[in-house]
Amino acid sequence: MSAAYRPGLVDLATGQVSREIFVNEEIYAEEQEKIFARAWLFVGHESQIPNPGDYVVSCMGEESVILCRDRTGQIHVFLNSCRHRGMKVCRYDEGNAAVFTCPYHGWSYGTDGRLVGVPYFREAYHSRLDRTQWGLVEVAQLCNYKGAIWATWDTEAPPFAEYLGEFTRYLDLQLDGWDGREGQAEVLCGVQKWLVPCNWKFPAENFSGDTYHNISHRSVDLAGIGPSGASRRDLGERNVSRKLHVCMPDRGHQTIHYILPKGELPPPAYQNAPIVAEYFRHCEEEKRRRLGDMARLVGAPGEIFPNTALLSRQPRTMAAWHPRGSHQTECWRWFFVDKDAPSEVKNFLRDYYIRYSGPAGMTEQDDMENWNYAHAASRGTIARRYPYNYEQGAGTAVANYEYQGLRVPGEVIDITDVQSSEQPARNFYRRWAEFMAADSWDRLATWRQAQPQAAE
Amino acid sequence: MSDPVNIRALAPGTRVALADGAVAEIVSNPADGVWLFARYLEAPRDPALVGQEEMIFAQDVIGVA
Repeated sequence: MSAAYRPGLVDLATGQVSREIFVNEEIYAEEQEKIFARAWLFVGHESQIPNPGDYVVSCMGEESVILCRDRTGQIHVFLNSCRHRGMKVCRYDEGNAAVFTCPYHGWSYGTDGRLVGVPYFREAYHSRLDRTQWGLVEVAQLCNYKGAIWATWDTEAPPFAEYLGEFTRYLDLQLDGWDGREGQAEVLCGVQKWLVPCNWKFPAENFSGDTYHNISHRSVDLAGIGPSGASRRDLGERNVSRKLHVCMPDRGHQTIHYILPKGELPPPAYQNAPIVAEYFRHCEEEKRRRLGDMARLVGAPGEIFPNTALLSRQPRTMAAWHPRGSHQTECWRWFFVDKDAPSEVKNFLRDYYIRYSGPAGMTEQDDMENWNYAHAASRGTIARRYPYNYEQGAGTAVANYEYQGLRVPGEVIDITDVQSSEQPARNFYRRWAEFMAADSWDRLATWRQAQPQAAE
Repeated sequence: MSDPVNIRALAPGTRVALADGAVAEIVSNPADGVWLFARYLEAPRDPALVGQEEMIFAQDVIGVA
């Protein structure tokens, strides 16, 4: 299907992707309509708006949106734009409000989106304006999945659970408790936000599962970026597990993850913090008791198409890569803890998260350098003639991968021995090309055609 | 015309005079500087409003009654 969208831009047969898709402004404009106006996007977490009237301003692609809880407790996502002349009706990052009032002419909206205040309604409008037709624009679909709020502008998009498919288990690793209880996550502190001068697909590809760039992080690994203050953050599980690239070819989601051997618990990672170490030892035991074999899954960086990054193993964090023109990305990063974790654990992790990720995090700074200069060096007339290479590991993915009785869905490359593959990136760009080519969800929800028809 | 009133500073219970001659008592103040929630006490041009709670636009408030 990728050949249908400007042939040659994404060529999976040769493993080549044109630089144009990163730097071309026409393609960028097309992405806003074909990807960001249709896909499910991560907006925020319910723990950010615990009380009626609470709101945070978030983004869906280029659009500013308000995530809020109305007076009855229902969660909404609205376009942050007055229906009268388009002014932002909310210009704070977060807060609690009875109404959202446009500062331009004064139109005012309830937290349920209804237009409740129109200056000179009786006098100037002669009471004729139909206020019921001029409420805030609300997303077409919203899903509260274990506290994470997802939304799409597209009424035709499949329900969020169907959009995720079997990738659900990796989002569960992010949102469920460390001890295996469902949906225990809460956002720790605020959302970190920063700008990087690169196309949004650089971080999206990186978090899809690029293990090849680990050389970039060698200096922080030497400095001891791990939670115990030594080596890599994932050294323990790397030494005992199978390390996999897992891709959902019909969905465009992909991740790295580890599978522990049967009966093996993750090696300790918090030796320098006894309270934290004991807490996680207890959580791992509880998780094994609750989930059985599924507790052998250990999360690692992944990406839900198009622009949401997961990292469920420490630092436990999600990110959204908001497009800001073809040459700039606004990165937002949420950090998570279990809401009932002891304060000693939350404090320890807050320090660790900040040290690792975000604009001040040592590891993410390495990534930003790469994305920044790769983008800049790809913009020139000459540079953009030469495609990037994505051949690594082509043709080696398998279906029905199983390790000691645990089956893994999707296409899998076991990279324990080969170290790396570019299957996650190929999967991401395959889906990108499908979205850009498809004119309807009939062509995007291909899994529906693959399902056997019910007997007449 | 009168000098603008800083409606953000008005507490619930305050009575305000409106440009059309009405008087209303503030029920709550969202403090956005644009609106007040208030109950009409007097409304000479539209007596049906008396007793009703309405959103009052800042530009209509001419003073504290």
